[in-house]
Amino acid sequence: MDDLFAPSDVSWTPVSPKLAAVRRVNAAIIFGVLAIVALIALGMSLGWTYGVLGLLVVAGGFAWAWVLIGRNQRSWKYAEREDELLVSHGIMFRQLVVVPYGRMQFVDVAAGPLERAFGIATVELHTATPATDAKIPGLHPDEASRLRDRLSALGQAQAWGL
Amino acid sequence: MTEPTPGPTGPAGPVTEPTPSSTPSPTAEPQTAPPPAGEKTGARLHPLTPFVKGWGYFVVAAVAMVNNESLRTNLELAGIGLLAVLVGGILLGALSWWFTKWQLTDEAIRVDSGFLFRRTRIIRFDRIQAIDVAQPFVARLFGMAELRMDVAGGGKSDGKLSYFTYDEAGKLRSLLLLRAKGQHAVEHDPQQPEPEPLLVVPTSRLLGATLLSSTVVASVGGLVWLIVATTVLDFHIGLFAGLPLLLGVVQPIWKQVVGNHGFTLSETHDGLRTKRGLFDVQRQTVPPGRVQGLLITEPLIWRLIGWSRVELDIAGLVGNPADGDDAREGAQLLPVGDRAEVAGVLARVLPGLDLSRIEMHQAPERVKWLRPIGWRYLAYGADDQVLVTVRGWVSRQTSVVLHHKTQSVALSQGPIQRRFRLANVAIHTPLGPTNAVALHQDVNVAAALVTAQADRAREARRTAASSAAVHTQPNPPSPDGSSSSAASPADDSSAM
Repeated sequence: MDDLFAPSDVSWTPVSPKLAAVRRVNAAIIFGVLAIVALIALGMSLGWTYGVLGLLVVAGGFAWAWVLIGRNQRSWKYAEREDELLVSHGIMFRQLVVVPYGRMQFVDVAAGPLERAFGIATVELHTATPATDAKIPGLHPDEASRLRDRLSALGQAQAWGL
Repeated sequence: MTEPTPGPTGPAGPVTEPTPSSTPSPTAEPQTAPPPAGEKTGARLHPLTPFVKGWGYFVVAAVAMVNNESLRTNLELAGIGLLAVLVGGILLGALSWWFTKWQLTDEAIRVDSGFLFRRTRIIRFDRIQAIDVAQPFVARLFGMAELRMDVAGGGKSDGKLSYFTYDEAGKLRSLLLLRAKGQHAVEHDPQQPEPEPLLVVPTSRLLGATLLSSTVVASVGGLVWLIVATTVLDFHIGLFAGLPLLLGVVQPIWKQVVGNHGFTLSETHDGLRTKRGLFDVQRQTVPPGRVQGLLITEPLIWRLIGWSRVELDIAGLVGNPADGDDAREGAQLLPVGDRAEVAGVLARVLPGLDLSRIEMHQAPERVKWLRPIGWRYLAYGADDQVLVTVRGWVSRQTSVVLHHKTQSVALSQGPIQRRFRLANVAIHTPLGPTNAVALHQDVNVAAALVTAQADRAREARRTAASSAAVHTQPNPPSPDGSSSSAASPADDSSAM
């Protein structure tokens, strides 16, 4: 049943595990701040037992996020069909997007500071409608630029007006 | 001002200008090429322009003066204040009018404006998609009109030039049309003779349709309940809710009856043309090649009578969110019509389309756990030209998407849907009212639909590409003026 969101007649490329690393660092920062806030706020108001309890809850949340991020990272994959780009992702909320190359308006390659530090980038394909959600995070920079060039070339070749 | 323009390469842009000579020297020097009729150099707009533009300002100033208690007791001060405001307003308006000039060059229309910050806007003729003459209410009282140029990739206010006298605007429009599209465009210019109307929606039906629409019925119901509750049950708390409810009654009526007053549909060379409005007459042309999809809405009570509303997605008409444009209405093809009228209109927009012949696939029965009533109305269907999705039981929405206009296809599934082995399929079209989502279909059916739709879209693109040869020059002298004038994506982005 899994293959409904990832038809097996094309070869799927997974994204880099570094995506999970980046997201975990992100989560660590957020949960870290949350933990400090919880510890201090609860500790000062209700007593330090509660502060430590709050800390534990936040730590539990972080552990859960750690697992979810790993699962989510493994779910991201994309495939280049002859005429379309396929992007599939999600475990709880699953999605498969099919974008014809000819519909492409422009391609974005983006990398934030954290992503750059880990050496990954995000490629996003834009069509004439913002509803199209064709984003591939966690690509090696070389792969990202290869994909960008290939997509623009294919988009040019198959370009189609509105 | 002399003729030469510094090669207008960009569509528009602020260019610093030397101080304009205030007297446009009427050239006595003989020109080699005779200037086309109507050519003007640095002409000003109509002198009444500042007043027509700023009438609201004057009214507000006057009302504020009259209503202000403390000022009324001190009449002298009020008089001076009012005078100062009026004089200041007139002066500002006059200055802005004096420094606004437009002229036609060989390949563009050029508008200089602003007295503190000079601004020059150059709109190239070949970037003008459509030219309309519009008459807002106040302008109409004075017999004036503004020229609206639809510029590819531009916002709404980019191509406005106001005000002219109505005749002048019409003449300028023909002239611009001649420059922009060539001789043939003027010969069958849609505006010169008002085309024979195909269909006129009577005001009584507009009113009736609005009164029976779901929002108004619900609001009236709420209002009645509120009045009963207040008077009989002595229940005063909910009185504040009355205002939004009242608004819910009045606003749609106003919008429908005034905004769509005298809705007329006619057929011209450029496609279907709509005309509507009581105060602010609006005209829209629907070029047949640019229809992306359409939405048929049938509120609960309308279904009993057999009425429905038809809206369209049109490339280029819908506002550009990047410009802060909120005009996402798309085009209204028919505010309310009975079944025969709707069928007739659909046949004109998409020849060969017959919704009743398309086989619809219902959502499976287990959807009732998710949508106890609405599940009966969820369906999709496709033929070789369009994909149709139906949803909603209070207000039924039928979305129609053309295969060769499909942008992308998405299959999605949430955790609850997963338990029931259901999934949604969304067909994305450019911004507009159409929202084609086949909700809660069986997973296998949905997955098959995604693949099938991708294939259909690819096939449709190929066949349409080979037959229509749409991918041509940005500004082809289209022989019939009706073929899809959409430029290639690369061109569109460069126009922004």
